[in-house]
Amino acid sequence: MENQEILEKIKPVFTEALGHENFELNESSSTSDIDGWDSLSHMIIIGEIEKVFNIKFKLFDLMTMHNVGDLIKSIQKNIS
Amino acid sequence: MEFLARMHESLQNHFDKNAFYIDEKFYSYADFAIEISKIRQAIALSVHDSEKIVGLIANDDLYTYASIIALWLEAKAYVPINPSHPIERNEEIIEATEIKYILDSAKGQYKNCQLLNHTYQETVPINIKPKPIEKNDLAYILFTSGSTGAPKGVPISFSNLNAFISAINFDGDFKLKPSDRCLQMFELTFDFSVVSYLFPLLSGACIYTVPRNAIKYFYIYKLLQNHKLTVLSLVPSIIHYLRPYFSEIKAPQVRYCSFGGGALYRDITYEWVKCIPNSKVYNYCGPTENTIYSSGYTINESCKTHNDIISIGKPLPEITYIIIDENNAELPLGEIGELAIAGPQLTPGYWKNDEKNKATFFEKKHQGQILRFYKSGDLCFKDTDENYMYIGRVDFQVKIRGYRIELSEVEFHAKKMAQNTDLIAIDILNKLENTELVLVIASEPFDTSEILTYMKSKLPDYMIPAHIKFLKEFPHNANGKIDRNTLRMLFNQEIP
Repeated sequence: MENQEILEKIKPVFTEALGHENFELNESSSTSDIDGWDSLSHMIIIGEIEKVFNIKFKLFDLMTMHNVGDLIKSIQKNIS
Repeated sequence: MEFLARMHESLQNHFDKNAFYIDEKFYSYADFAIEISKIRQAIALSVHDSEKIVGLIANDDLYTYASIIALWLEAKAYVPINPSHPIERNEEIIEATEIKYILDSAKGQYKNCQLLNHTYQETVPINIKPKPIEKNDLAYILFTSGSTGAPKGVPISFSNLNAFISAINFDGDFKLKPSDRCLQMFELTFDFSVVSYLFPLLSGACIYTVPRNAIKYFYIYKLLQNHKLTVLSLVPSIIHYLRPYFSEIKAPQVRYCSFGGGALYRDITYEWVKCIPNSKVYNYCGPTENTIYSSGYTINESCKTHNDIISIGKPLPEITYIIIDENNAELPLGEIGELAIAGPQLTPGYWKNDEKNKATFFEKKHQGQILRFYKSGDLCFKDTDENYMYIGRVDFQVKIRGYRIELSEVEFHAKKMAQNTDLIAIDILNKLENTELVLVIASEPFDTSEILTYMKSKLPDYMIPAHIKFLKEFPHNANGKIDRNTLRMLFNQEIP
């Protein structure tokens, strides 16, 4: 799957979890750029992404995730 | 002051050891002592002896921690101010405490305050010997949510803090070593931060901090994994978040793990203990007003529980607990009532708030002595084996991520932007069993972005409702009051 395709699939997950659309999602987006992306919403986002792609992240992957690019990389790794 | 003399000794004896790990960088005790000395010099040059309280912008860097110790060595108190909180709230704190000086590594501008700059170029002689402390000198003032829309200040004196340290060290059960690596995950505006930096510094151990914008539980796991932390001070919500990953966590090096700041449930605690099999685990409890922890319970294989909540244990040495009714009369053993606390850790009283002080503190004869008690607002009972059990709150105070919040303060600000609508703030448990704030509005659904934007300009993030729900009408109980319990039940199921 292309990164862009993954990005399009995860965008609605963010919108739903954060309750707003006032953000741009690209590979360099991180918690400091997106309003409301905090510890709590992160857990919801991770849980939903696992459902959408039918994958299960390892804690090790999650701890090294610093931005959306890392998230996409980790999704790539899990679906391949 | 005993603990400051110990601090002096510890700083001096561990120069070659690491004191802090902040944002992926280590700082030694020597680095720390130099930073302290520079800040002390700046304080001594500008701040008159009579100015006992100084503001501290909590940027969570080495300068911030060095500022705390520098102020203490100068016999002054710090008022931590969180730069990510709304400016108006911070200005209220500055105004209430009448501070004239502020320490800020980011060099911000604050109304009516002078910024204390230390001289970066000059080398200063190391100066870490404490000045004498007078009996009523304060060590810090923390501001917590107040029911009238303004935060309330809790001053803690050096002797309060000294009594607390003596109480924790009393039986030698909790003893840190210079080789310990200790977690500091708390905002400096929250008093659990004090235990997280103070005990390591007194023992020459290293403190590992969690950056403000990190996803806390993952960052903590990263520190556990990469730096083999040995001492953890946590709030229960952290293990609720980590629970799906417990099978991946193996940290046999952890020696101590303390919980506080919320109900600790038995099942999850037992599961967590398997991740840290060699650790002593404590459940501590106590209001900010009684200096960090008031009582503690050591987790064992057959923990005492009530409704699956682990006991809050017995009061620390020198502290008196009594269970009282509405008239401050002591209740018989086993009866549920409000917990009242007395002892040397008790705050001298809320900052310039006579009304609140009259309502919250009272004197009472107990075992032949007149003691000054604090009404904690916690409903508890004392079991036959002397352990205390926590039931819930008397009032409308809730805990979100360890922070105490007055629901009425949240409602107060929400109502400003939603006039002529009935609304109420409630706390609910989400699927991870963490408490979340929900604002329920009696109305047809409408766009609430204006309300939220306004609230974000007035309140810290943990006081912003995570969800807004609409109801045509509120349920009422027999007394005609809005039935918060029914509302909770209604939404408990719904929140992911």
